Amino acid sequence: MEIAAENLTVRLGGVARVDRVSLILRPGELVGLIGPNGAGKTTLFRALAGLREPDEGAVRYGGRTLADIGRRTMARRLAYLEQTSEAHWPLRADHVVGLGRLPHRRFGRAAAAGDAAAVDRALRAADACAFRERPMSALSGGERARVLLARALAVESEWLLADEPVAALDPAHQLGVMERLHEAARRGIGVVVVLHDLTLASRFCDRLVLMAGGRVIGDGAPAAVLTDSAAAAAYGVTLARAVAHGEPLVAPWRRIDPHLERNR
Amino acid sequence: MAERFLAFVLAAACLGLWCGSAAAAAPARVVSINLCTDELLVQLADPAQVASVSWLSAASAGSNVADRVMDVPQNHGFAEEVVAARPDLVLAGRYTARAAVSVLRRIGVPVVDADAPGTLDQVKAEIRRVADAIGHGDRGDAMIAELERRMSRPTPVRTPKLRAAVLRPNGFTAGPGSLSDELMRRAGLVNVAAELKLDTYGQLPLETIILAGVDLLIVDGDRAGPPAIATEVLSHPILAKLGDRVRVVKIPPRLWTCYGPSIADAYDILVDAAGSAP
Amino acid sequence: MSPSPPYAPLAGALAALVLVAFVASVRIGYATIDVGGALADLLAGRTSLGALVLMELRLPRAIIGALVGFSLGLAGAAMQGLLRNPLADAGVIGVSGAAAFGAVMAFYSGLSASFGLALPTGGILGAGVAVALLYALAGRGSATMTLILAGVAISSLAGALTALALNLSPNPYAATEVMFWLMGSLADRSMTHVQFAAPLLIAGWLMILVCGPALDALSLGEDTATSLGFHMARVRLLLIVGTALAVGPAVAVTGAIGFVGLVVPHLLRPLVGGRPGRLLLVSGLGGAALVLAADIAVRVVGVRPELKLGVVTALIGAPFFLLLLWRLRREA
Repeated sequence: MEIAAENLTVRLGGVARVDRVSLILRPGELVGLIGPNGAGKTTLFRALAGLREPDEGAVRYGGRTLADIGRRTMARRLAYLEQTSEAHWPLRADHVVGLGRLPHRRFGRAAAAGDAAAVDRALRAADACAFRERPMSALSGGERARVLLARALAVESEWLLADEPVAALDPAHQLGVMERLHEAARRGIGVVVVLHDLTLASRFCDRLVLMAGGRVIGDGAPAAVLTDSAAAAAYGVTLARAVAHGEPLVAPWRRIDPHLERNR
Repeated sequence: MAERFLAFVLAAACLGLWCGSAAAAAPARVVSINLCTDELLVQLADPAQVASVSWLSAASAGSNVADRVMDVPQNHGFAEEVVAARPDLVLAGRYTARAAVSVLRRIGVPVVDADAPGTLDQVKAEIRRVADAIGHGDRGDAMIAELERRMSRPTPVRTPKLRAAVLRPNGFTAGPGSLSDELMRRAGLVNVAAELKLDTYGQLPLETIILAGVDLLIVDGDRAGPPAIATEVLSHPILAKLGDRVRVVKIPPRLWTCYGPSIADAYDILVDAAGSAP
Repeated sequence: MSPSPPYAPLAGALAALVLVAFVASVRIGYATIDVGGALADLLAGRTSLGALVLMELRLPRAIIGALVGFSLGLAGAAMQGLLRNPLADAGVIGVSGAAAFGAVMAFYSGLSASFGLALPTGGILGAGVAVALLYALAGRGSATMTLILAGVAISSLAGALTALALNLSPNPYAATEVMFWLMGSLADRSMTHVQFAAPLLIAGWLMILVCGPALDALSLGEDTATSLGFHMARVRLLLIVGTALAVGPAVAVTGAIGFVGLVVPHLLRPLVGGRPGRLLLVSGLGGAALVLAADIAVRVVGVRPELKLGVVTALIGAPFFLLLLWRLRREA
């Protein structure tokens, strides 16, 4: 199933936060959605996940709309990880992960054995087994983020849309999560992640989509998208480049002072 | 300070303007601020003497004199209204509108407090007291004589006596020491509530009354009143299901809420019930 | 954190507790009746006094206690799940008060005398308006302050309107009856009340109970719940209407009994691992047990006239409420 955004416009408070965006996402790719704060990444994400009806344009899933597919079926096929999600009750970590199995449960039925196995796999994938029986309120921010990622993984859907899944993690876990997402894409799952870390984005993603001001200003392989001029236009930074262990490394390096630019 | 000044002004006004005539034998203007004294006043006084009565006696459901007070000014038991009516005498109940009574006393308005009688003798005493206060002792004597005549009607002799209980709104009943209790006993009934160690007017759960084994349940007669949770107990389905085990006797509350000639009407109903087949 | 006990035995134990409280409530009354003999009379079709008291007074009282308790416990858990706030109790946030006002309007206008269902309908409308208003004011996120303040405003408005309506009604008992509506009582209720309230209450329960999985999902926020396949608009509507159906008729029959929906879910939450969906059924059962126990208490303490039920639940519940606020303040 392909996800196709067609001329998508989403307005918040009258302002177009996503402005005529067209995009085709294919399974088997790890796509990084990057862009500065306020670029419209989360708004686009919510529209792609069917959480926000676009004001103009449409999102099609394998050619069909959300209304055709139905929200329940959709929930089995696409998992969404919120950017600032938190558990409101002192839920146990594995219970939170178990929520990812809700779309698969027939009404009124208890969890099946298959659900428990899926929860285990998700906990392992997010490296959250160690604290699976602890309540969320007793976990650190990074641990909570891993549990929530495991929750999204537990859906075992063909699509995973994750909004900043590594923002709260330490370096080891950032790398771990990116590796898992990369593997998931290799297995044929469509993975889209919002990222702020350009180094991780350029290293792990098959494709980057760069947004600024609600528009897509770059879409393609990381090397083709993260050009010096694109970094300057979107983020107002210069990029440092190197080669580490035979792989290209990109990192934001210096802010471009708008006054200096103008005077030069 | 301001309060005392006000009292002084009122007292001065009272003395100077109209209180002087209060000493006369038959007060010219009488105000009643209690339902029971309203009824006695209307029945014993000359119409010209009645300056105002409480609003309750004009509300037809609870009053025996509603049709006779149509043209009489009404009060709500507030001292201000009473003073404005320039009374020579105020009739009050011992347990009602006490704030108004204390103000009236302080500024020198004569007030007669009528008691709530618990026995027939006390009823007669209250009638006499009100009649004397308004200068019509002879009419009081006549009312008492008529009441005695009607209350001396022979009562049925029957063993065992029928057992009865009064069931009022909110589950209140008439216990020992109440006028209702005296009337019931006099009519040859056993008041079940008296066995249950209640205060004069106690609240009883429905199941206690029913399980105490009653032959007669005495309820308010005219129940066309406004809806109230209080009266719901009187329409509880269990009362209908008691069937012929318990007979329901209806006595309109106005007949025996107050002490007047109407208690003889309540007594008639009780005697008839006591003499009927169980 | 201690592991929570398995769910089915917990629900079973609570159901057994309700049963025990129910039997005790039927056995304990103001007068002693031979319950066994009365039951035998009943089965044999003999209408002895004991059988009548059992059928017409004791049973309706216990049934209404259980129904109303279940409704209040369940509604408390449901609203806490929906508003994601542990202080959301029908009594505390004004839903019961508004239901009482609705019922008062239906009752004292005389509407319910000519049309029996008017009474619970009034309660349902009052409760529904209050829940919808609260949701609009404090629904998204869990601003405790907003919720409590909105509740205070709705409570006092509903209380004032109730008193006003009673004052305007030509009813000599109005002053004492405000107490009934604000504090609640099961005294001398009848099978008629059971008949008109039970179907509505049960409809409300079902609407709430089907939302269990959605409430679980909602503990991760509305977007996540939606992405898990729940139509949040539909869930909200079900919960609001379900709560109105559960609280409205309950208050219309017994007056507003406070704090049940606060205390019970709070006590049981750790036992279900905090899961809002699982909290629903057990809170209903716990609520039924609590109201039955409180109603036994008002009959055995020997205070006459009988204490209002809400007095007992408030004596237990209000300190609880303060404790909860204290804890929330410390966490904040």
